[in-house]
Amino acid sequence: VTGAFWRRFLVPGALWLVLFFAVPFGITIAISLGSPTELGGVLYGFEPANYADALDPLFAPVLLRSVTYAAATAAICLLVGYPVAYCIARYGGRYKNALIAAVLLPFLTNYLVRTYAWVALLADEGLVNRLAGERIGFLNTPWAVIGGLVYGYLGYMILPIYAALERMDPALIEAGKDLYGSPRQTFWHVTWPQTLPGVLAGIVLVFLPAVGDFISAQLLGGPDTYMIGNLIQQQFYGADNWPFGSALTVVLMAFLMVFMVFYLRGSEARREALG
Amino acid sequence: MESHMRRREFIQGGAGLVVGGALLGTGCGVGEKKASKAAVTKVVPAKIDGDLLIFNWTEYMNPGLIKSFAKHYGVKVRQANFDSMPSMMAKLRSGNEYDLIFPTADYVNRLVKANMLLQLDRDKLSNAGSIYSFFDDPWYDGGSAHTVPYAMYTTGIAWRDDRVEGITGSWNDLTNESAKGKIFMLDDFQEAIGQANLLNGFDLNATDPASLEKTKATLEHQKTFLRGYSTNAAPNMLSGDAWIHHAWNGDLVNVRNQAKKNPEVFKFETCKEGIPVGSDCMAIPSNAKHPGTALLFIDWMLDPEHASKNITWFGYPMPITGSEEAFAKLAKNDPAIEVSTEDLANGSQFKELAPDERKAWDRVWTEVKA
Repeated sequence: VTGAFWRRFLVPGALWLVLFFAVPFGITIAISLGSPTELGGVLYGFEPANYADALDPLFAPVLLRSVTYAAATAAICLLVGYPVAYCIARYGGRYKNALIAAVLLPFLTNYLVRTYAWVALLADEGLVNRLAGERIGFLNTPWAVIGGLVYGYLGYMILPIYAALERMDPALIEAGKDLYGSPRQTFWHVTWPQTLPGVLAGIVLVFLPAVGDFISAQLLGGPDTYMIGNLIQQQFYGADNWPFGSALTVVLMAFLMVFMVFYLRGSEARREALG
Repeated sequence: MESHMRRREFIQGGAGLVVGGALLGTGCGVGEKKASKAAVTKVVPAKIDGDLLIFNWTEYMNPGLIKSFAKHYGVKVRQANFDSMPSMMAKLRSGNEYDLIFPTADYVNRLVKANMLLQLDRDKLSNAGSIYSFFDDPWYDGGSAHTVPYAMYTTGIAWRDDRVEGITGSWNDLTNESAKGKIFMLDDFQEAIGQANLLNGFDLNATDPASLEKTKATLEHQKTFLRGYSTNAAPNMLSGDAWIHHAWNGDLVNVRNQAKKNPEVFKFETCKEGIPVGSDCMAIPSNAKHPGTALLFIDWMLDPEHASKNITWFGYPMPITGSEEAFAKLAKNDPAIEVSTEDLANGSQFKELAPDERKAWDRVWTEVKA
């Protein structure tokens, strides 16, 4: 079987990328260079002013807030997700697949609907406060927004870490113990480095969508939780200014691309180091 | 989810999920495609010419009336929903074909300019006589050539009488000390900037930089009293999160219908500095596949008895002679939720803003929220 044969299997993936990423992204760039019409439509042209507007320092605090929320989300997801993945991989036994399915199950319900459920649960006269017997002012705070993001994206952290743990040879842990490593030492010197690629993949998978998320901030947020996603959404469905919304989108993507480059170069370097 | 989610209440954010899809589906179709004059003036007889596709706000029409229409004429009626005017426009611009749409007045103005609405011959409507004469020549559609009015609404403040003290009948109630941290402002930049304009004594639609500078300061001050920005007034009030809520009049009917106990503690006021009022319409897009059926459906909704059923269900007054009693029942204890044609004449209506004016408003909104 030749390489040409196997290369054919790249076609569906490549088509997918072209159709659902390259083409829409091209359209987004085309719109970002246009100007809004009276009807809220787009007049195509070459209007770099949208980009000058998008780089306005006014948006810096919004971007900073989005990055902070997303970083906190990734950190909490890691703290919660790693032990979950670890328990499933190491102690799940024959229930492994069922447990992973349970992790994925909430994704069958739309994120929007699930976030609405949190609004109802956490309301001042809602179930959580009634059970607690006192009012916990949780809703409409930054913590609620981060909580919503953690809830929404936790699965993206658990799965790659689980996959990394599954790939790892359990004999390595035995070897660590045989060499008189305490459980803690064995974890930090054997398991953690082995699963680090999964951890980094999880961080990227959680961080990227969390930065651009707008649902959590819109439904669970307060007056001071405006995120970049909300700003972009306002351009499309409030201000009727698709060109500016598209320019903001492109700028955000360029910004996130920097993270991706660091990630890819980092994983490349690790692969080389491992030989 | 609450069964009575109304216009604009259903998350505008949901629409955002569609953005990607819309971009894809339309290819480069988000640009302007103006229909020709001829497409707009064609003569359409009011008779069944196929199944009906309605494009409306969520939960903004009594489904019983749709069912009875379908049964009476032996057609299928399907309904699609939008959650904001910009999202409705996006769907129309990208060439989707709907038979009947429900644009607000300021958007009618735009649609007419773009030749996107079919001219309606009122002589073909047997119930046209029931429409208030106020709408014979509205500002948004000269001679009412393309539209039939649907509902009238007003924006004000809803509050809980059992929690809040010192309501004054002013937009200043959005900064009521006794409800600090339990106040929501509508997450709608037109409504938010509009009330702040009125509070400062400016025109509702003021766009000049000096006025907007003051209005921005007002919004920033109000922000310190807020728990959040939201268009989900009914759930927010019912869950106890909001004691004071910037809201539409229909929201109050909605809240009371759903309140399990003491619905009378929920009150609504319109504010003395000025009241944003509005109306929306039924209209047939110029690319409609079944305009004949759509005309018949419009006529169906104009029947005073049907209008009454609709009002009782969705909570907004309709400008139709003979439907007043249905709304009077809803407004018995709350005259503030009433909207009359005098209100429309004397109150302030949101006008269509030019792109750069819209940009100026959006800038204020972003500066306040960022």
